[in-house]
Amino acid sequence: MTAPVETIDTEVLVIGSGAGGAVTAAILARAGRRVTVVEEGPWVDPDALEPFSLPEMVAKYRHGGSCAALGRPAIAYAEGRCVGGSTEINSGLYHRLPPDLAEEWRRDYRIDEFGTDALDRYADRIEHELGVSRLPGAPPASSAVLERGATKLGWRSVEFSRVFRYEQNGRAVKQTMARTMLPSAIAAGARVIADCRVARLVRRRARIVGACCTQTRADGSVRALLIRAEHVFVCAGATQTPALLQRSGIRHNIGRGLKMHPTVKIAARFDSLIDHGDVPMHRVTEFAPGLTIGGSASRRGHVALALADSDADYADALANWEHVAVYYAAIRSEGSGRVLALPGINSPLVTYRLTEADMSRLARALVHLGEVLLAAGATELYPSVTGGIVARGPEDLVHWWDALTRNRANLMTVHLTSTVRIGEDRSKTGADSFGRVWGYENLRVNDASLLPEAPGVNPQGPIMAIVARNSDQFLSAV
Amino acid sequence: MLWFERQVVGALMSPALDPSARADVESYVATTLRSMPEHLRAGVALESIALGAPSWLAHRAGRLDERRVRTSLDRWKASKVDVVRQYVRLLESLVLFAENELVPSP
Repeated sequence: MTAPVETIDTEVLVIGSGAGGAVTAAILARAGRRVTVVEEGPWVDPDALEPFSLPEMVAKYRHGGSCAALGRPAIAYAEGRCVGGSTEINSGLYHRLPPDLAEEWRRDYRIDEFGTDALDRYADRIEHELGVSRLPGAPPASSAVLERGATKLGWRSVEFSRVFRYEQNGRAVKQTMARTMLPSAIAAGARVIADCRVARLVRRRARIVGACCTQTRADGSVRALLIRAEHVFVCAGATQTPALLQRSGIRHNIGRGLKMHPTVKIAARFDSLIDHGDVPMHRVTEFAPGLTIGGSASRRGHVALALADSDADYADALANWEHVAVYYAAIRSEGSGRVLALPGINSPLVTYRLTEADMSRLARALVHLGEVLLAAGATELYPSVTGGIVARGPEDLVHWWDALTRNRANLMTVHLTSTVRIGEDRSKTGADSFGRVWGYENLRVNDASLLPEAPGVNPQGPIMAIVARNSDQFLSAV
Repeated sequence: MLWFERQVVGALMSPALDPSARADVESYVATTLRSMPEHLRAGVALESIALGAPSWLAHRAGRLDERRVRTSLDRWKASKVDVVRQYVRLLESLVLFAENELVPSP
């Protein structure tokens, strides 16, 4: 016998609770709207699990961290699946949208009211509320490596701000959505339902009238929910948002044009001990926004993975893993991909096609990353290229130009965007300038999917500013 | 986890691990494979069946040992066929990460 469907009525339904959904919910709830947030993943206490640890991956990452965009080569990617979304698992690095990029997007996609001044006003608000700041003291050794290497080469480097607050005892606390915007939304009357997956939206002509969901309770039992809403914001991220829209029969420019920052890595060994508790805050910006160099999480497990990617003998380096840290170089790719919901299957098919120019950029990125690490004093570099030689001096780096091929590159990314782009040019976009999905009066997208291109910087800042702007526009229009 | 996947995971694990640690690593790999996107899991399972068929026959004939699996893995790791190379990379990554995160440093 089928269990009866429970019904919930709300004014605004927000699907997803990451940087997009949480900011949307907080702004609308504080304005007096009746808001319900549904999140597919669980509510995990932000202090309960060690950052970047295996238990965190199991609890908070989609598919336990084992996702990949298919293509040549396949690109592994990670995204959050918990209350707070990817803000719970990322490094918290914060960057505003570069002004020239905002102008380029405004022009190319005909986005109304997309000036830097307007976006900066929203960025100011977000930064003030979350507490965006730099490290109060000297950077840790793993971060200073990048600054030192860049200085020696005469390259620019910057200590990035992070979405962190520092307590009086010096403890750094990442201001994730589960710590900030969601409690604020709840205090203003919003309701958050965790472990609740939206199967599809219910359409009635040009309106969405609700969402069919299943919620998994703590005891493992499942209840079917119909959430009826006057307005729906889909904020499930760049892979899940287009998949949900497609499952609901909404397809115009939905899921095409996926963008990301394909990333190569190097495990760098040093003579001295390297810290492993934090992600480096420095970035080498000499080649930005086309190419950015930074540091990754470097727990023992990550070091082992990065060493193994080169396929060289790494036993001695792993035995001395406390001297090894993982660094990356990410490119703005001219290739693109697609998200496609498959009938009868929960997970969408994600594909990505790198161009020949992208492969060339990745090779250049790998060599530049090697240069800066050697300049900083690294003694051995293990590239994420199968069969790539271990570099011990600048003369070895030349071999990497030819080594990085489609069959040998081991790539990953954590930034996915652009699957429901905004703008008034309907031939290129899935939603209007403020995220309202073409053809639907009360359906909006408000997350990373809206960014017309990958920004070349950590996208959390640009996403939150654009989402806040769209939420304000909704409040003024509806 | 399929039979051949268990053989591969066993061959990839460090021989120095005690039985309890081996069980933890195997359990983590099984959980992660189970939670993969369905189409990716189906692809991995198909590869396990295809690549594991000779090993299964050897097992039936009583001629399979870990060294033989290890030799096959080394060959596939350098394969020009991307999906074959990625198959080994996936399982090796899961084993390595679990070994280094679940097992205390020596």
